[in-house]
Amino acid sequence: MMLLTLSTYVLGKMGLTGITVVLLLLLTTLIKGGLIIRDFMGLQGVSLLWRVIMYGWLTVVCLAIGITYIISI
Amino acid sequence: MTNDINIEPKLLPGDLAIWFFIFMELLVFGIFFIVYAVMRIQNIEIFNQYQLTLNRELGAANTLLLITSSYFVVRAVQAIRINNVKSCIYWLYAALAGGMGFLILKSFEYSDKFSEGINLSTNIFYMFYLSLTMFHFLHVVLGMLILFAVVLKAKGGAYTAQNHTGVETGASYWHMVDLVWIVLFPLVYIIR
Repeated sequence: MMLLTLSTYVLGKMGLTGITVVLLLLLTTLIKGGLIIRDFMGLQGVSLLWRVIMYGWLTVVCLAIGITYIISI
Repeated sequence: MTNDINIEPKLLPGDLAIWFFIFMELLVFGIFFIVYAVMRIQNIEIFNQYQLTLNRELGAANTLLLITSSYFVVRAVQAIRINNVKSCIYWLYAALAGGMGFLILKSFEYSDKFSEGINLSTNIFYMFYLSLTMFHFLHVVLGMLILFAVVLKAKGGAYTAQNHTGVETGASYWHMVDLVWIVLFPLVYIIR
């Protein structure tokens, strides 16, 4: 997660833009968020409902952000 | 003879009530994030221009601090699960130090902006930047208060390997605070 955070920072520092960069950054966010939900929050193995809510939140938010950024490019 | 293997899903860690609170908080933040992204479409130049004035180094440092702090909370929960109360308390103190570090860096960031005369009515980007991050800041403060309450109860012998729901409850809230920042940092500071 540290490496993913540093990669996000480096991409930002380089000032890169474009759909590919946006999608890469959102993918990074999805992975980090997923790791927090599964490993830190300990939701692996809990009822499907709770996992759907948590992963669903992360996915919907990242998807919505991605769509708005793609529209704006 | 049939073998019926029924694997029961494990329970959510901590109190169920905190999870409803977490879901509500995530809903609010989620809406906030999406509104930010939508408003950006209508004000692309302003968002792109003023995003560059943000301190990405502090934002990245804060992300590392919160991730590390969350990791310490995980260690605290692991410690109490094997009845190591002292270790649990030390890990929680370490997590609190990470949270304090976050608040200090954020305060420097705000001080920098406020000294330049930037406030909620400067422009739409700063309105979102300040309100989003300040809303999150308040959640970090609340999360630290919760963790500190857990520390005090742990010191009083309230938690054991058999009974540590309170520790898991506090941990779950703290991880939510971290999760929100994981989305907020790239959204507000990086993606353009």
